[in-house]
Amino acid sequence: MQTKLAKLGRSTLVAFAMMGATSAFAEEVSLMKGVIPREGDDRMTTADQFKKPGPWKIGMSHFGLSNTWTIQMAHDAEFEAKNNPNITDFLFRNADLNQTKQVADIEDLIAQGVDAIIITPLTPTSADAGIKKAVAAGIPVIVHTGLTDTEEYTVDIQGGGNYFGRVMGDFLVKQLGGKGNIWVLRGVPSHPEDINRYQGLVDAIKGTDIKIVSEDYGTWEYDGGKKLCEAFYLSNPDVQGIWSSGADMARACVDVFNQYGAEMPPISGEGNNGFFKFWRDNKLTSIAPEYGPEQGAAGVRAAVALLEGKPLHKRYVYNPEPITAETRDTYIREDLSDAYWFPTALSEEKKQEYYGLKK
Amino acid sequence: MAMLSALLPAPRNSRAGPWYLVLACLVVVVAVVSWSAPLFLTPGNLSNVAAQITPLVITAIGQTLVIITGGLDLSVGSLISLTTAIIVLDLPGWAMVLLAIAAAVTVGTVNGVGIAYLNVHPIIMTLASMSVVQGVALITRPVPGGTVPGWISGAVNESLFGLPAALVWIAVAIILAAFLIYRTRFGLHLFAIGGNPNSALMNGVRVRRNIVLTYILSSLFAMGAGFFLAGRIASGDANVGTVFGLDSITAVALGGTSLSGGVGSLVGTVLGSVLVGVIGNGMNLMNVSAFLQIVIKGALLLAVVSVQRRKQIGL
Repeated sequence: MQTKLAKLGRSTLVAFAMMGATSAFAEEVSLMKGVIPREGDDRMTTADQFKKPGPWKIGMSHFGLSNTWTIQMAHDAEFEAKNNPNITDFLFRNADLNQTKQVADIEDLIAQGVDAIIITPLTPTSADAGIKKAVAAGIPVIVHTGLTDTEEYTVDIQGGGNYFGRVMGDFLVKQLGGKGNIWVLRGVPSHPEDINRYQGLVDAIKGTDIKIVSEDYGTWEYDGGKKLCEAFYLSNPDVQGIWSSGADMARACVDVFNQYGAEMPPISGEGNNGFFKFWRDNKLTSIAPEYGPEQGAAGVRAAVALLEGKPLHKRYVYNPEPITAETRDTYIREDLSDAYWFPTALSEEKKQEYYGLKK
Repeated sequence: MAMLSALLPAPRNSRAGPWYLVLACLVVVVAVVSWSAPLFLTPGNLSNVAAQITPLVITAIGQTLVIITGGLDLSVGSLISLTTAIIVLDLPGWAMVLLAIAAAVTVGTVNGVGIAYLNVHPIIMTLASMSVVQGVALITRPVPGGTVPGWISGAVNESLFGLPAALVWIAVAIILAAFLIYRTRFGLHLFAIGGNPNSALMNGVRVRRNIVLTYILSSLFAMGAGFFLAGRIASGDANVGTVFGLDSITAVALGGTSLSGGVGSLVGTVLGSVLVGVIGNGMNLMNVSAFLQIVIKGALLLAVVSVQRRKQIGL
């Protein structure tokens, strides 16, 4: 009898546990395709912890509108906010790649009494102090597209820089059969994202016979990338592969090879319409890790979820499968300009408004 | 009282420059911002503004000394970055302070000697040293981070007699500079050198030595700004000072100091720095579009500087 009772008790407990799990699963908020809770970190906000009746005033401190990707990420965030009837004010601040301005912007947003703050840190130093002040003021903080040293934020969504770099490094190792010379086009000196992406490359080529023969910073810009590749081509033309830290440098490097009439070695790229057309038209051997500007919208979705009282994980990762030559053409939009990046939350109307090519 | 009258020179004092124009501009901007965003005048926000402008005020004061002699110091931004990188080194407090002072004195001396004794143009000289110092800062602190000693964070973020610590930093910098400019022979010589270095030399002024001293002082003020900034961001960052090179020149120019030397005032520089800070804070509070903010800042700078008709000394 006791055994039967014990079995019944266990079954009941299991049933309740399953119901709980189902309930938690049902409440899981989808921030963006490819964004999942970070493995090994089960910290969550509690239900209703930040719940607040609308309308809401949401602030965003953006590290700087420095290239087409960062601008589209801002557009994605603004579009998502404008389409939520509960968000009446979306206070967007551009730090203009200036650490001290970002500190000031966050202070100003706190002073304006926002209900939630989204921060894309320029450097950990420019965001940490602001995050601590905001959290102390009871404001939930969502961090994405940049790293912090503090863990005091409420929610963190990060595309893994290390993963990004390793995907491109693994691609080169495979293409080169584990042996050869490569050039490395880095982003901005001391930028955490660049350091992490580079570390991913170092991890990928460790133990192989791949040698970095030229390496320098192109600041993630077309112009910077072109200058580097011109200099590298003159100093070290014997190259079998090129690793680019992303943004607009790969396209510039292809232009340099075309200028010299040289055969283009395998090169890593990024999820940009211009690069994808270039990749197809120049028959490049390439790969593109996905790093979508939709992360801007994901930050707004996280802020909304918190203010609606939904529980969120403290840390999310964004490590989607890379885009390869097989899947590339499904992304290309002939009717949109080279400055268009994917994936995005923008509506078709907005895509045409910002990136539509004149007929 | 005498110091105060020196800080607020008469509008007709041609050696002080048209500092009253930036004051008028500041009054208008404050009135507009206060009317549009009542939050502006709250103690919390004013405390934010004070902390936001402090590094610029300190750097611009040092820059003023150099510009009055007819020079220019572009290396101050890199030196600020290097100072923050030194502060987070794993060293005893006294050693870290000595190293930061040594770095500032070295950079200032190299700039001064290059300009005064080797006749290198100030822009070229300080551009070169800016690059070298930036590189050293990146080597010292390749990744932003580290731990700032508690006494520095406390000196920046705490309050004194109910006032934000930032105001104390600004007051100390102003008093030091006011003493140097208005109460010493060195200060008088700065204007003489900027007005006409040959005349100054013929009148017994040790032009080269004073120029070297001026660049050392500019570096030391930048170092002070670096200490404040490190405390504010609670870490070292090899790029954090980058903007202060041009921003400090902008603040000095807004304050009516002539970029060709010989004319300038401390009060103008302080007001110019405050104007830059208030515009940034005010536009944020008024929810001015991020894109439009850049346009307005540039247009305002152009307008204020354009109406400052330069005069020859004595006219």
